Amino acid sequence: MDTSRLLRLGELAFPGFVVGLLAGAVAGGLAGLVGQPIGWALVSTLALGIPLGLLGAGYGLLAAFRKVRIGAFAPMALYWLIGFPLARLAHEVLTHLVLAGTPQLPPDPLGFLLYQALISAGFAIGFLWLHERLAPRWWRRVAPRNADAAEVYAAYAAHAKQVYEARQASIQARRRSRERAARR
Amino acid sequence: MVDSSKVPVSGSAGDTGADTGQTERVWRAGGLDPMPIRKLPDAPPAIHLLGPTVFLVALGVGMGESYMWPRLVLVFGPEIRWLFLVGVTLQAVVMLEMARYAMATGESIFTGAARVFKPMMWFFFATAILVYIWPGHLSAGAAAFEEITGIPWVVTACIALVLVGVIFTLAKVIYNLLENVLSFLIGLLVVGTAIVASLVGSWGDLASTITGMFAFGYFPSEAMSSAWFPIVVGSIAFAGPSGMQQMWYTLHLRDSGAGMGAHVPKIRGLRHAAEQEAMPARGFMFDTDDPAEMKKWKGWRRWVTFDALLLFWGITMLVTVSFTVLAQAAARENPNVKSLIEGGDRDAALGAMSDAFAAVGGPVLGGVFFGFIALIGLNATLGLFDSFSRGQADMTYFFVPGAKKFKISHLYAGFLWGVIIFGILILLFGPADGPSGVLDILAFLSTFAMGAYCVVLLLVNNRMLPKPIRPKWWTNAIIGFGAVFYLGMLFYSLARFGVVVS
Repeated sequence: MDTSRLLRLGELAFPGFVVGLLAGAVAGGLAGLVGQPIGWALVSTLALGIPLGLLGAGYGLLAAFRKVRIGAFAPMALYWLIGFPLARLAHEVLTHLVLAGTPQLPPDPLGFLLYQALISAGFAIGFLWLHERLAPRWWRRVAPRNADAAEVYAAYAAHAKQVYEARQASIQARRRSRERAARR
Repeated sequence: MVDSSKVPVSGSAGDTGADTGQTERVWRAGGLDPMPIRKLPDAPPAIHLLGPTVFLVALGVGMGESYMWPRLVLVFGPEIRWLFLVGVTLQAVVMLEMARYAMATGESIFTGAARVFKPMMWFFFATAILVYIWPGHLSAGAAAFEEITGIPWVVTACIALVLVGVIFTLAKVIYNLLENVLSFLIGLLVVGTAIVASLVGSWGDLASTITGMFAFGYFPSEAMSSAWFPIVVGSIAFAGPSGMQQMWYTLHLRDSGAGMGAHVPKIRGLRHAAEQEAMPARGFMFDTDDPAEMKKWKGWRRWVTFDALLLFWGITMLVTVSFTVLAQAAARENPNVKSLIEGGDRDAALGAMSDAFAAVGGPVLGGVFFGFIALIGLNATLGLFDSFSRGQADMTYFFVPGAKKFKISHLYAGFLWGVIIFGILILLFGPADGPSGVLDILAFLSTFAMGAYCVVLLLVNNRMLPKPIRPKWWTNAIIGFGAVFYLGMLFYSLARFGVVVS
């Protein structure tokens, strides 16, 4: 795969990566605010943010290439049902590795994974919410140089155009009715 | 139009403009100007596109979800949560019914109330001023921010008030700006609470919280005391949006261009007031006889139902489940939390919960917890100031004689800066929640308004709308139950215990 193709894929996956990383950074960022050592904050951010970011990027690619329906909740929930527990498992293991020197699984790994799978539904709603806000704007930005981004953005734009036309029609109608009233 | 009710006050079809030789079809409803018939815009093709429910979520997810319900769970057990399920589900139905009138006419529910009986609208106008000008709602979020940063909460609250005013003044279209900001903040809240719950909660906490929602009929005898009954009933009434927040949602729907709201201009910030289009004197109606129009209407109903179920119901439920899991985890870690939460000292209880999280996952989790309380406070403040100003400007513009000399953006800015300046003065010199002598009256009015808007909804949707788009009998039954519940519990609490629902 050539570099430019990789770059284009990276651009498609970027918003999903940012949302995942942002979620992981919630903990790390606030650690800095409450005056914790910067190393602690960084470990927390990266150990959770990077796995979530990579998974988020993966979802962005699936959506961009229409392997899942854009913006639909069910495939997103299914994706995070598996992805979120894995990201949390990686977070636990990595944090132990960095802070204690040895990797360690949580005490009851199966129970841990099941609990995280349940929580994943909540995470999926938040992820969908943020991704739907950020991704279309980003894809529009890179559309001139990225044909795939242009294509996925076109799907969103088709809807926006429809709404715009409806509004224009109503503005025209209002103007006509004002002019009619002025003639009376 | 097909409907022509025989009741004089209610809606009927008709024509105007005979003197000009042109016939404009109209829908006559109540005592105000008839609504001209216009085309209903197409509903968004994909239901996943987010609507103005974001405002309701921002307003509704407050201290009730993050503090009151976790508190009740610690005192009475997770089984008490079935009452939360009932409260939020009732509010979801109210939301759908508010949307029915707003999307069908492009009018606010306040105008709907005025079509039935104008004094009802003035009651809401006065209640909004009495209940919502006090800046007490800022205190919890600003106090949490003080825990994180050390900045005194009054300073944060005053700066936040001025910032809100400046942002809304500079915005070209206030709705667009606020929807974007709130959407981002709520997305962050949802993702963040899910992560914090995943860090500190356990399978057992989550299982008991969720199964408790289906323990229908559980009501411990201790809850029937003068100390707890008003709190339990208040927590049910204030599960999700409380007071007049549902009524303001109709204004946000209109500004988002949902349904016939597309025919009404958006409110602009003061700096762009010159570009403000004139507001039409009344709303519009679509042709309910036309099957193509009815098909579009069904599309809009699907869209708003998705908003109500997944976004409003789902997110409110999710945040409260997360915070209940957190409270249970905190109480397990530190038994002192339970006694503080039961004792009712909110700030002490939130501090103890934060300490308990710090003990489990390092001090960072304590900070994260306060960060979310501050975020909830910020969301509620942004939403509340906009909504209050929007509602008062709407009623003033349409119903105060001479107010049409101003643009609606001027009136909006007047109410916004009025409530901000009053809020700063009170924060600096007065009681933030309002004078102690009238606190009970304010709590009474807030709950009474909820019962009253259920009655208004029944009247407006069943008498002011054409028959094909009126609510089904079972929806009316649920809204009727809401009216009886809110008003019944309010007066029962007063009569039996001599205490107002709190």
